[in-house]
Amino acid sequence: MASRITAAAHDDRPTFQEAAADLVNAPSTAASSTTTRWFLILGAFVVLGVVGFVLKIADHGMDDRRAWGYYVAMVSFLLTTAGGAPMLSIAPVLAKANWVRPVMRVSQLFSSIGVLTAIMSIPLIFLLPPLVEDEVRRRSIWFGSPAYFPHIWDTIAIFGLVFLGLALLWASSMPDLAAIRESGSGRRQQWARRLAPGFIGTSGQWKALRIRIGVLSAFYFLFLIFTHVLFASDYIHALVPGYKDAIFPMYHALTSLQAGTASVILASYFLWRYGGFNRYIGINQIWNLAKLQFALSLLWFYFFFSAFIVFWYSRTPQNEKVIELFDQGPHLWAFLGALFFCFIIPMWTLMWNFIRVSMRGPAIIAGVIIFGTLLDRIRLGVGAWATEGINDKFLQVVPETVWPDLWDIFMFLGMFAGAAFLFLLVTRLIPAVSLWEIQQSRLISKPAMYMRSEVEIVGKPD
Amino acid sequence: MRQGRQLDEIRVNKELLNGALETPAWWKWAVLFFATIVVTGFVVFGIQTNKGLGVTGLSRPVFWGAYITTFVFWVGISHAGIMISAILRLTQAEWRRPVTRAAELLTVFSLLTALSFPVIHAGRPWRIIYWIFPYDFARGLWPNIRSPLIWDPAAIGTYLTGSTLFLYVALLPDLGVLRDRTTGWRHAMYGALSLGWRGNPRQWRLQTVAGVLLSALMLPIFVSVHSIVSWDFAVTPGVEGWNSTIFAPYFVIGAVHSGVSAVVTMMALMRWLWKWDNFIRPEHFDALARLLIVVATAWFGFTVVEILFSLYTLEGPELAFRDMQIFQWPWSGMFVTFLLCAFFIPVTMWLFKSVRSSIVLMFWTSILVNIGMWLERFLIIVPSLARKQPFVYTWGSYQPSIVEFTMMAWSFAFVAMNMLLFARFFPLIPLFESKESMVFTTEMKIGRTTIPAVLREQE
Repeated sequence: MASRITAAAHDDRPTFQEAAADLVNAPSTAASSTTTRWFLILGAFVVLGVVGFVLKIADHGMDDRRAWGYYVAMVSFLLTTAGGAPMLSIAPVLAKANWVRPVMRVSQLFSSIGVLTAIMSIPLIFLLPPLVEDEVRRRSIWFGSPAYFPHIWDTIAIFGLVFLGLALLWASSMPDLAAIRESGSGRRQQWARRLAPGFIGTSGQWKALRIRIGVLSAFYFLFLIFTHVLFASDYIHALVPGYKDAIFPMYHALTSLQAGTASVILASYFLWRYGGFNRYIGINQIWNLAKLQFALSLLWFYFFFSAFIVFWYSRTPQNEKVIELFDQGPHLWAFLGALFFCFIIPMWTLMWNFIRVSMRGPAIIAGVIIFGTLLDRIRLGVGAWATEGINDKFLQVVPETVWPDLWDIFMFLGMFAGAAFLFLLVTRLIPAVSLWEIQQSRLISKPAMYMRSEVEIVGKPD
Repeated sequence: MRQGRQLDEIRVNKELLNGALETPAWWKWAVLFFATIVVTGFVVFGIQTNKGLGVTGLSRPVFWGAYITTFVFWVGISHAGIMISAILRLTQAEWRRPVTRAAELLTVFSLLTALSFPVIHAGRPWRIIYWIFPYDFARGLWPNIRSPLIWDPAAIGTYLTGSTLFLYVALLPDLGVLRDRTTGWRHAMYGALSLGWRGNPRQWRLQTVAGVLLSALMLPIFVSVHSIVSWDFAVTPGVEGWNSTIFAPYFVIGAVHSGVSAVVTMMALMRWLWKWDNFIRPEHFDALARLLIVVATAWFGFTVVEILFSLYTLEGPELAFRDMQIFQWPWSGMFVTFLLCAFFIPVTMWLFKSVRSSIVLMFWTSILVNIGMWLERFLIIVPSLARKQPFVYTWGSYQPSIVEFTMMAWSFAFVAMNMLLFARFFPLIPLFESKESMVFTTEMKIGRTTIPAVLREQE
């Protein structure tokens, strides 16, 4: 029956030579004055963020937990978005999806932002109260462990995740770095020599590379869940007296997948629109990512509602206080923002195929989701860090709304600029679209005509 | 690589209609066997109705036992159909095709079975009417419509209606084929059921659109059904081990785990009984096992988090309850068996391709999963109720009686008998899906290697 594939359709995909020229050589020649200007602007904002951080310490010290809620929200936001993005290069591969290949590198490049997450998480070690204070032990998932166990394990988790992300990026970039080493030029070639020594593409090296990527991907996924469970439990959940919500760490991890997908869509759109990658990243990638984004947005509400209904239904005073803290009272604005931007708007837009099958539609929705995720993290982080009586059995008083001060705004700007700076910096060395993935995609797929329709034949190797 | 022969359309028709148009010798004996158990079940149910619930092991403080466990178990199994048919259809997984009909059918029959358990559990089944109607019109004593116990029949009823529609829409093209190959009353029956199916382009387009739409519409119902079942427990703050926010997704993912495993069991049986080696192939088991590894691991993660957060508050009653559930005999034995059967043994085995491609091993591991998942539900429901009250003198235990065991056997026999009866009249593997699969799958040569390939539409 498949013999009704009558003729090969016109194949306008870039050839290997064209792809190599575009991806291996182009970024080194594109070091224009515009790029340099962008780096300078972003660098200036990073400095502003550092200034904000220093002035925050000068104003409030490290003991006033209430003052640092927005900082916790920032770290949580970075962990959520940049930490979740590399999963896009892992999960669809399990389903042998071919469409994901052009955006796999984009998703892995977000690992570089992990460096910022790790650096920003260091002050949290000093901000988080120990498990035992004045001989009173507070509730935590660490039960009777030593007082600084969460500090140690959370740091190991965050740094471990960042290390795994960078290792995954490095491993999957190896063939491209080898290509740059052979045919690139300048400083980029020097870096490639250091990072890809000896890779010449023998069968053994390819086999080892696949195993390495597979193992690192599996560990990255497990570490992502582990890190979210620890971070959500220790930095948010355990600080609210009387709060007991088993789904909360999973909710935190799920929003990471949602925001990670949104980040990849947005980055892919910018690379398509402004980065000169429109022959590699196209509607097929955005369409499939948008479907995934739609499903994850529905799951956002499902996970939120699963917790909410149990809290609302039980009507116990402590559960009512928790609802008031996170959803009704001081952070109602952030909750409504998160609800609209993470669920209602994505649901009502992405359910329509004509929006999904466009470059701009999913990109706008991705931006909306990222903003919604930021509000969600503010709702949770600021809310949890504003509470008092950490050793109490129940939350006695719901705190007033905490608004960001000028230093918080500086730090927000610095965080966004730092993330963009790191992402752009790494794309100076590593191509934003993987040459070898494009090559492999070209090998195992080809356009064809099935009767009068244009189709793609996609190989599904074991 | 494809493991089996590529058949032509004539051969596909002949082989897949062999169940509906010819009666295998073993069929009537199998039906007779299951019918005997079903009849026994009805007799036992009659005795229970006559004597009252005293013939069961239910007693203070455990009033939810094997019946409610079995109810939750069958609702869980019912998640197979939508997982396989709807989700895999939307994600364009080609390997789903031979499995869809059997999975949808399993959904319908398991839901019917699940729905009968609250009626059986009620003891006096006619009183089930008070579930919806007021106890006393004059005094306005209405059931509490804010209770998940009231939402349950609505959700399951909607799911049953939707699943039946889903099954029927997908059956239409095959009914058209059967109508054209039969005579007499069978021809009349298939003619009426096929709703004038002629296979013209408009009908195919509508059938495809209906399939996709139903897939998308069924998804929220699919999620809501087991979520509502979980809220029967989770919104009860007074019972240790029940009041957990994670229950809804935990139940749903557990249901998918158990449902997909049940489909594996059924696929193996179908391959052996009807000799459909060319349709249900080792690569299908391999794909399902890969899916099960992901699902089982996620489910296990939820299990760990659920237990971790139940201990979080370190409150005495919760600790005492968990101590009993995990460390005290006989619960400890069940707990270990549940973990070994539902996760450690099967998932460890599925990591090996030789196991994933072995139909015998997949059959037995899938059965292990469902033994484990039944125990999981039992361990959620019964120990919590046994320690419901804070005072030691109000504690109790529970052991199912022979009546409850018989009704559990009845439920399995009821599903099996209905499946066999269905298979006598309708093809268990969809003909049109098999033929469509021949269109959408091909092979591709890369260098000296030939790999399987699929056709994808271009946007």
